[in-house]
Amino acid sequence: MIVDKMEQSLRPVETPMAEYPAKYITLATGEKMVVRQIKREEVPLILEAVKPLMTVEKDFYDIVASRMYSELLGYLRYRVKDEYCLIGTIDGVIVGIVNGRLLDEKVGMSYHTMTLRQGLRIGAQLFAAKMEYHFDFLNQEEVWIVAESPNGFRRWMIEYELESRPEVWHELGGVPTYVLTKALWEKHKAAKCTGRRPVKEELLKTAENPILPSTYAQIPGFVRCEK
Amino acid sequence: MQLKMYAYKCTCCGELHHPKHYACRKCGARSFEEIDLEGEATVVTYTKVYNLPEGYMKPYLSFGIVKFDNGLTVSGQIEAENLKTGMKVKTSVGVIKEGVGKDYYGFIFRPVDE
Amino acid sequence: MREVGIAGVGHTKFGKWTEGTFVDMLSKAAVEALDDAGIRTVKGHGVDQVFVASMGSGMINRQSGVASALVDTLNLRPAMAETIENGPASGASAVKLGYMAIASGMCNCVLVVGGEMMRVVSGWEGTDFVATMLHPEAEYNYGLTLPAFAGMFTRLYMEKYGVTERDLSIVSVKNHENAVHNPVAHIHVVPSLYAIADDEDAHVINPYVAEPLRMYHVCPVSDGAAAVVLCAMDQADRFAKKPVKIAGIGQATDTHSVAEREVPTDLLAVRLAAQRAYDMAGLKPQDIDVAELHDAFQILEVAESEEVGFFEKGQGHIAARNGETRIGGKIPINTSGGLKAKGHPLGATGVSQIVELVRQLRGEAGGRQVQDAKTGLAVNFGGFGNNVVATILAREEE
Repeated sequence: MIVDKMEQSLRPVETPMAEYPAKYITLATGEKMVVRQIKREEVPLILEAVKPLMTVEKDFYDIVASRMYSELLGYLRYRVKDEYCLIGTIDGVIVGIVNGRLLDEKVGMSYHTMTLRQGLRIGAQLFAAKMEYHFDFLNQEEVWIVAESPNGFRRWMIEYELESRPEVWHELGGVPTYVLTKALWEKHKAAKCTGRRPVKEELLKTAENPILPSTYAQIPGFVRCEK
Repeated sequence: MQLKMYAYKCTCCGELHHPKHYACRKCGARSFEEIDLEGEATVVTYTKVYNLPEGYMKPYLSFGIVKFDNGLTVSGQIEAENLKTGMKVKTSVGVIKEGVGKDYYGFIFRPVDE
Repeated sequence: MREVGIAGVGHTKFGKWTEGTFVDMLSKAAVEALDDAGIRTVKGHGVDQVFVASMGSGMINRQSGVASALVDTLNLRPAMAETIENGPASGASAVKLGYMAIASGMCNCVLVVGGEMMRVVSGWEGTDFVATMLHPEAEYNYGLTLPAFAGMFTRLYMEKYGVTERDLSIVSVKNHENAVHNPVAHIHVVPSLYAIADDEDAHVINPYVAEPLRMYHVCPVSDGAAAVVLCAMDQADRFAKKPVKIAGIGQATDTHSVAEREVPTDLLAVRLAAQRAYDMAGLKPQDIDVAELHDAFQILEVAESEEVGFFEKGQGHIAARNGETRIGGKIPINTSGGLKAKGHPLGATGVSQIVELVRQLRGEAGGRQVQDAKTGLAVNFGGFGNNVVATILAREEE
């Protein structure tokens, strides 16, 4: 594709980012969840996974899904700088999605955490993986985080003892910003972050061909329209 | 503000109680005097709780049941990182819960050698 | 004394109730129980009394007078009606009061419905609500909760008897496996023992809730309702199915403040309630074929299995390890999935346990059926064991 001059001037200048090395976590059911980073060209599929939740008002899924949809769209079409997206899959089926970006070399901006399959602490695992990416692979000093739901507040602000920093405004609407510092990450990492590398070839192969979920716990009776 | 905790001593048989009762568990008498409940105690059991109820903005809090030298056993908060059953703790009274317009006071135990 | 039986049972799917109000949920279970008993809701229905068991309808659903509301919703007027609150043992208490109403001769037919709709509040508000049953000054104000006491109790049990975290996981997995065969259970996903106990990721995917208790050692938060129709055995032929007899009921209380208990690993109220129920039924622990024990925390199933006399004190976890409490074992416990996997809507639990025993004694338990079960014991545990009700059901020989 030829990128014309106008398009070039609209696109952000991108910082080279180390890739998140895929890992797998054995969940309570014994199933293995692979966590890996997606490539830009995989975004359209992920959008389809997010879309049905854009109308679920409960637990702020609508806000989280709509924002994540637009963030990922921005990533796909070069309207967000230095964004990344990690997904969790079980037997190839997408069970959770997290995303964020680099504000600069030292500061990370956490965007969203979305769980598609509930009851197995998938959201907590993916959030931890996202922080692992910022600190352990991108070597950042801190990550700015906001919560949109009370559940998120409990999970991140309280469980990770995040530092309150209302004087800086997070990109997600300027709501009160909390910060995970490197020191706090080191304190909580052992209890929150797990998983093993490398992922065996066969497992990774399944994860590299993600499948859209056929049901959503949040949407009773959901049927995906075949295209 | 309450900075002291009490044992309730039966004026008839001397049996100690905590918390307060309206009849003595030993002799059935109904009058008590307040005795200071303080000093050292031994940890009978303890736990570190991660899913705290509404009103506590902390990732975790430790609790224990301790036994005073006078034989009374009570529940309280414990401020210590490395807990063990049988360890000695000292008693203090502090804010155990922040309330609207009123704080709640109770036992907060800490290791003796701190 | 007049004999009392159970003529009908009903049960909503435990989990998240999405089909309406609290009274809608109670009604659904109630109608199922009435249908099961063959009672039509028309004039002359013969229901003399309705008891509703709920701990939190007033506190979390902002509705009082629930029994009066239910009687009207079901058009069972002018039946008598009361709401019964005895914490998580409300359900068994309501069954006990139904028994007393019939045994006394005051009623011939009593509908008992237990229910709780807890998932309208957040997890931490729910934890706070449940904790209100603790001693207000000596416990609740400290931030102490039911999981906190269960954690402290578990530690003592581990140190005294050698119970391990893995033993608790064994009990948990067993109950989850049973729940798969119970269509009304909250959770139909079975954890893997290896993943929650042995794998190197286990400490993160099965994190501590209240040390040394982990997530898979604690029951979930559930909505749900269960109902039973009690009848006088001398009027058994009024009903569609042969009633299952209530052979014994026992109840006992213990200190409100848990710290005051002389031996902190004893659950005296469980021991005494079970003894009283056995005495009334003229049965012994070894006569029981199937049991529903209140496993809000997995350590409680272990401790209760000892206190009710199935195993020696300190041996419950060994029995669980050896599979003696599985279906097909010496004494199957929590065939329904127990509170751990079936769910624990507080007011519903005691009634739900009775529903499971009736299904077992009738031979209606499908894939979780205990072969030829004739007698069943239920233990419904209120507070942290300060008010316990034990109930024994027996199938009469043809």
